[in-house]
Amino acid sequence: MKKLEDKIAVITGGNSGIGLAVAKLFAQEGAKVVITGRNPVSIRSAVIEIGHGSAGLVSDAGNVDCLTQTFEDITKKFDGKIDVLVVNAGVYITAPLASYTEEMFDQTSDVNFKGAFFSVQRALPYLKDGASIILTGSTVAETAKINGAAFAATKAALRSLARSFSAELLPRNIRVNVVSPGPTDTSVFGRTGASELQIENAKKALIDHTPLKRLASAGEIAETYLYLASDDSGYMLGAELVIDGGYRSL
Amino acid sequence: MKKLENKVAVITGGNSGIGLSTAILFAEQGAKVAITGRNQASLETAAQTIGNGAIGIVSDVSDLNNIKNAYEEVSDKFGKIDVLIVNAGIFLAGPLADFTEEQFDQTSDVNFKGAFFSVQRALPYLNDGASIVLTSTALNEKGLGIGAAYSASKAAVRSLARSFSAELLDRNIRVNVLSPGPIDTPIFGRGGGSKEEVDGTKDYFASINPSKRLGLPMEIAEGFLYLASDASKYMLGAELVLDGGVKGL
Repeated sequence: MKKLEDKIAVITGGNSGIGLAVAKLFAQEGAKVVITGRNPVSIRSAVIEIGHGSAGLVSDAGNVDCLTQTFEDITKKFDGKIDVLVVNAGVYITAPLASYTEEMFDQTSDVNFKGAFFSVQRALPYLKDGASIILTGSTVAETAKINGAAFAATKAALRSLARSFSAELLPRNIRVNVVSPGPTDTSVFGRTGASELQIENAKKALIDHTPLKRLASAGEIAETYLYLASDDSGYMLGAELVIDGGYRSL
Repeated sequence: MKKLENKVAVITGGNSGIGLSTAILFAEQGAKVAITGRNQASLETAAQTIGNGAIGIVSDVSDLNNIKNAYEEVSDKFGKIDVLIVNAGIFLAGPLADFTEEQFDQTSDVNFKGAFFSVQRALPYLNDGASIVLTSTALNEKGLGIGAAYSASKAAVRSLARSFSAELLDRNIRVNVLSPGPIDTPIFGRGGGSKEEVDGTKDYFASINPSKRLGLPMEIAEGFLYLASDASKYMLGAELVLDGGVKGL
């Protein structure tokens, strides 16, 4: 028996990295998957990779006005309300505190914090009672992140949102939880414009700092989303799954 | 011996409530105090109440240019800053479904972005070894129906103290968080309710508190004093919770 048979699942930022791995796993488990993202080209290729009748929509999580339309389009397309919402779109912008610009701060906050807030709010009319919402946090929500104070803080804010949202959506039996990954081997490393050597060095430093001495694969992170999306985790709400190779706790 | 003798202390949102009590205590302890806030008239009255040559500067923390000008004015008058209390904050509540983008932006701009840039813009005006204290809330790890954005902005602030402390270690600047519970301040009256309604709200918060009372602004000020002084210098990226037991019990 598949775990998400005929469930409608929406994954924001589902066109690459962890989001794409989640979309693939959900589709294999029987879900009707819709991914959203900003880049039409990578959305198209991701939908082909996901298969199983999945769909992709161009949508910017940092633009509140386009969110309602996105959810409207999704429920029309699959002729039903949403069972699983994965709020995964995020940006990671680093710079020393002294030179962190207002634009960098706004971009980080608009996508990771405000985008998450309104992705949930605007989805409310389109969610089934009993739906599961999963927010992508980060293990650094409770640690210091040098050159990444804004990023870490937005992920701490997100961790908090899951608690309040869960408390508020209890009457509709909608659960909101957080997955907090540690360093994961995704294309995000390539997107910074760094050279091969710089990327290798950055990965090495992260591996050194991780007690398990390796990066996570996107596929193993996706398994935690499957658990939170399915009824297996029905007693879990406002909570956090930390999957970080021991980064935070050890 | 006074605990902040000749130290320069800046308190954002220092014209009322917890901020004002903190300013008064710091001045008593010998600090040269500058308070910032949005309301010129209340800043002037507050500066007189504080005494010890305290000054008030009009500054809206959600306007970044304001922030820098305020620090410049402080260091022109008093010299570089030893203690920065980031205390300005707002509380907007509403059901998730109706919470507007404007309400969200206001909350985030003052509580989160305002805190971030209050620290960043202060960097050139801070003495090495300075102490920065950010104000969060005892509810930063609790689900709060109708206050998701507020709680989240304060959880973000809690996080900032960790990263800022790590990054400012080489200048020996410490960043900590003070997280108050329900405190008896004029904020309860700001919703515009009658005296009976305000008292009713206060009684309710006291009744659900393990200590069965609200905290006093001066109790919170003592927490800020501890974090501001050298007594706490082994503490960094940490949190002082003063909430009558809400969080822990």
